[in-house]
Amino acid sequence: MTLTDRYVDAALRRLPARQRPDIERELRASIADAVDDRVDGGTDPDAAEVAVLTELGDPQRLAAGYADRPLHLIGPALFLDYTRLLAILLATVLPAVAAVVALIRAMDDADAGTVVADAFSATFTAAIHIGFWTTVLFAVIERFPGQHWQIRTWTPNALPEPPSRRLKYTELALETAATVLFSTLILLTPVVSTEKDANGDPIGLLAPWLWDTGVVYGFIALVVVALGFSFARYYGRWNVPIAIARGLATIACSILLIALAANDRILNPEFIAAAGWSGDVNRWVYIGVVATSIGTLAHAVVEAAKQVRKG
Amino acid sequence: MPEDELLATHLQELRRGTVVLACLLILQRPNYGYALLDLLEKYGFAVDANTLYPLLRRLEKQGLLTSDWNTDESRPRKFYRTSADGTALAQTLSHDWDELDAAFRSLKGES
Repeated sequence: MTLTDRYVDAALRRLPARQRPDIERELRASIADAVDDRVDGGTDPDAAEVAVLTELGDPQRLAAGYADRPLHLIGPALFLDYTRLLAILLATVLPAVAAVVALIRAMDDADAGTVVADAFSATFTAAIHIGFWTTVLFAVIERFPGQHWQIRTWTPNALPEPPSRRLKYTELALETAATVLFSTLILLTPVVSTEKDANGDPIGLLAPWLWDTGVVYGFIALVVVALGFSFARYYGRWNVPIAIARGLATIACSILLIALAANDRILNPEFIAAAGWSGDVNRWVYIGVVATSIGTLAHAVVEAAKQVRKG
Repeated sequence: MPEDELLATHLQELRRGTVVLACLLILQRPNYGYALLDLLEKYGFAVDANTLYPLLRRLEKQGLLTSDWNTDESRPRKFYRTSADGTALAQTLSHDWDELDAAFRSLKGES
């Protein structure tokens, strides 16, 4: 295998398969032409090959040029939205996580050191997750196939006053913050609780069955997918397939919740016993879940219908 | 930033885009990648091979160039040629360049 073969392979590996044969043929011809030119000028063939490939540079950079792929993680079109969303998430979720963890620890009669340490470590973990997932989300949007993000047209109307112009973005940011906060709290319930068992281990508010079967992760995945569609609506064009997909994600969330509530799978029976709540609580949870689901579904349907009519 | 680097940055900024116009003009007569690279250099448009080759594909995708494989010679080569759209764009860009040139001249008091 010659140096040129290795170079061409390295460049082609990062290209879509259907572009490869044509680009390979052209690239090989171009390299051969350049090498011949140097050999005609009196250079030794091996040295000429090295010189030509050196001039062509990093094959991955060349492939990115062919595939029209960005050589940055998050480009100028999205960067400000990225930093703004990150700032809003960190500013809203972190204090809430710190407060909730500290409160629950304090109610457990933990000493001040434990309260601070636990609140700090939960906040730190939440911060890392928010940073990581927000970055992943925007890096994916940046690489969305066939899209060239243009910097959004900025008008003075986008200035902080009046706030109504920013409503759509604020709505998105709030929805994201709510999803992140909600998921964080759900995931924290098994380890952070007001009730303890005989061994002093926390009793989770939510049924351990959800964790044993992985249903809780499926539920959170659905919530995150629904949020993804909100991003698609904000950054892309609202079209019927996206509207339907988002509707399906919302309906799936609601149905799952109602099914769980109907089978008393949401609350942990041990927690109910330890907290001394009446057995009726499951019925109230069921009613609450059904009412919320109906509200969410109605909202999703109205919203989708409005958008489809507009689009 | 060292002075050389500063100069290089400004020159790069100023020349960005001129390669597209030069390609569209030169490719009124069909030619292939490496020969075009050579020609551009001879005319004084410095461009790297790793910029030019992807650029040709991008222009083709935008419908400004058309291409054909020439297999008459022992080494098959992809020949590019400026399309009608490409010629129209070249005219617009040339006109813009002339206007800029005139603007600079009057700015420098040559009028």
